[in-house]
Amino acid sequence: MGRWEVMVGNKAIAYAAKLARVQFISAYPITPQTSVVEYLAEMVASGELDAEFVNVEGELTAQTAALGASAAGARAFTATSGPGLLYMHHPMHATSGGRFPVVMAVIHRSVKGMQPDHSDMMAQRDTGWIMLECENSQELLDTGIMAFKIAEDERVRLPTIFAGDGYILSYTAEPVEIPSQEDVDAFLPPYRSSYPLLPGLAEEARRVQMEQWGIGQDPQLRWRRQQEAMEAAKMVIMEVNEEFYKWFGRRYGNGLVEEYRCDDVEAFIVAMGTIASTARTAIDRLQAKGRRIGLVKLKSFRPFPSEEFRRLGAMVRAIGVIDRNISLGSGGITFQEIRSSLYDLEERPRILGFHAGLSGKEVRVGDIEMICEKTLRAAKGEGPPSLVEWI
Amino acid sequence: MIEVRFHGRGGQGAVTAVRILASALYLEGKYTQAIPMYGTERRGAPVVAFLRIGESRINERDLVHNPDIVVVLDPLLSRTVPVTEGLKEGGLIVMNFPKPGTEAGIGGRFMLATVDATGIALEALGRPITNTAMLGAFAKASGLVSLESLEKTLLEHWPGRLGEMNLRALRTAYERVTPPVDVSGIQAQEKRPREEIFSKDVSSWRIFKPQLDEDRCVGCRRCYIYCPEVAISMIQGKARVDYSSCKGCGICGEECPTGAISMVQEAL
Repeated sequence: MGRWEVMVGNKAIAYAAKLARVQFISAYPITPQTSVVEYLAEMVASGELDAEFVNVEGELTAQTAALGASAAGARAFTATSGPGLLYMHHPMHATSGGRFPVVMAVIHRSVKGMQPDHSDMMAQRDTGWIMLECENSQELLDTGIMAFKIAEDERVRLPTIFAGDGYILSYTAEPVEIPSQEDVDAFLPPYRSSYPLLPGLAEEARRVQMEQWGIGQDPQLRWRRQQEAMEAAKMVIMEVNEEFYKWFGRRYGNGLVEEYRCDDVEAFIVAMGTIASTARTAIDRLQAKGRRIGLVKLKSFRPFPSEEFRRLGAMVRAIGVIDRNISLGSGGITFQEIRSSLYDLEERPRILGFHAGLSGKEVRVGDIEMICEKTLRAAKGEGPPSLVEWI
Repeated sequence: MIEVRFHGRGGQGAVTAVRILASALYLEGKYTQAIPMYGTERRGAPVVAFLRIGESRINERDLVHNPDIVVVLDPLLSRTVPVTEGLKEGGLIVMNFPKPGTEAGIGGRFMLATVDATGIALEALGRPITNTAMLGAFAKASGLVSLESLEKTLLEHWPGRLGEMNLRALRTAYERVTPPVDVSGIQAQEKRPREEIFSKDVSSWRIFKPQLDEDRCVGCRRCYIYCPEVAISMIQGKARVDYSSCKGCGICGEECPTGAISMVQEAL
């Protein structure tokens, strides 16, 4: 049995790393991530956690050191925010390219300013990392533990981010259940790298590395292998989510998306992270008034669950997508990806895009109710067939 | 769901207060959310923190805009910050104020309970950190949390001597807080215009002010060098304090080698 504690999101993240028995931590402090590193440093210093804690001079090194530790066969962890994540961008490609299952917590901070939005993670969209978004502190702790199991699965072997909104989660205290170490140990056995780059194993490692990197073969091969691993990860994420449920009694939808009150609705909205949490209240209020609208929480941003959105899109007449991000010169990123997923449907629902919460702009329950009402109007065939709005 | 807003100044412990309260309420079977409002705070600057209390998981992740209760950790804060903004009709204000609540300049369809938390904190802690005293006052005035749960949480947060000292502040304020009085008949004091709120005048941040004994000042410039707010100038070889820039940190008094600067509590 676990125990409960009222704790901030950053402490929940530190607990995830501790319970996963990480062997290597390298990180550089940045608001709002800093206290994650402080909690972990205390755990290592007090002997609670037997890990190598490496102080580095910046995030580029934090990522590279974690990559190296993972390559040597250690379970490696790092955490960062906003500009720190941007500074990691270059070695992140190497971590995924080398198929090293590093796990990283991203405590969102905008690339413009201190407050949260998803622009930091979206700037890493194509780095080949799995990206799982969380809406509360319990989900951060749980997803952190699941992230190692997903990343280290032989069918996947890809680095994984689990993320939550800075400030809104990182410093807010709420009750969180900490699973027992015995249960986590049973759920998540120690990491055994099939190909650790250690002396004596160098020959085998070289062979595997050459295949992965496509050396002497089709230079595109490593891209293709990574894409195949991403596709395989969808199944693995769903499996791990179910297994977690069996052990700990909590699951997050099917691991990729979560449908909230989507039975017999004519429309749904899509949101990620803390906006999805607030959206639950908006949906409750509207359904109490008889409005037929639900919520689909996008949990796995990479791999992107296109099949799920095709299945869900076929059931409704309109979808409203909330993006806490923008690809400048193009538009909301999840809005576009969901719209693209729906293309193969015979009868496509209307789709509306909403930009909200960028640079930490507050998203209130009322804002989401308004988004829902607009989406419901679209479901009735009113207004333009497609629309993008700033909230 | 019950929503609470805490007003304080950087250094008075508003964030710690909501966290302790969240843990204490959790002991009593409530679901809680303690939300600090982080920005570019510094010691003395006005800060807010929020608390939500529910029976089951709370999904709202926005800030609290219409609180049921407001707690004010500082007696001068309400002169510059609209502390009753958005407070529900009939809502409760628990305020650190050394005089009867009817003199606090707070008016409207609210109930107001007051306690001299600064005085209690100075007695119990030797410092004007009012958060634990205000938690005691909150417990008594609101009836939402027991003194026992707060005591238990407080000792977990600060084991040892620091916990004992804070326990004294908590209990004293619990005993001394006035019963809530109706302030609907009272004319609310005008807030200063917004331009003034954003001006550099920090005189309302002070609890103590430095007082200079010119005869003992030897013009050594130590206070001038160490003042973090550049509030001290040297005029004709003597220190002079610009009180609109002084937030009352007391560093000048600590640094003065001749004891020419003494810190005197501000009268309300």
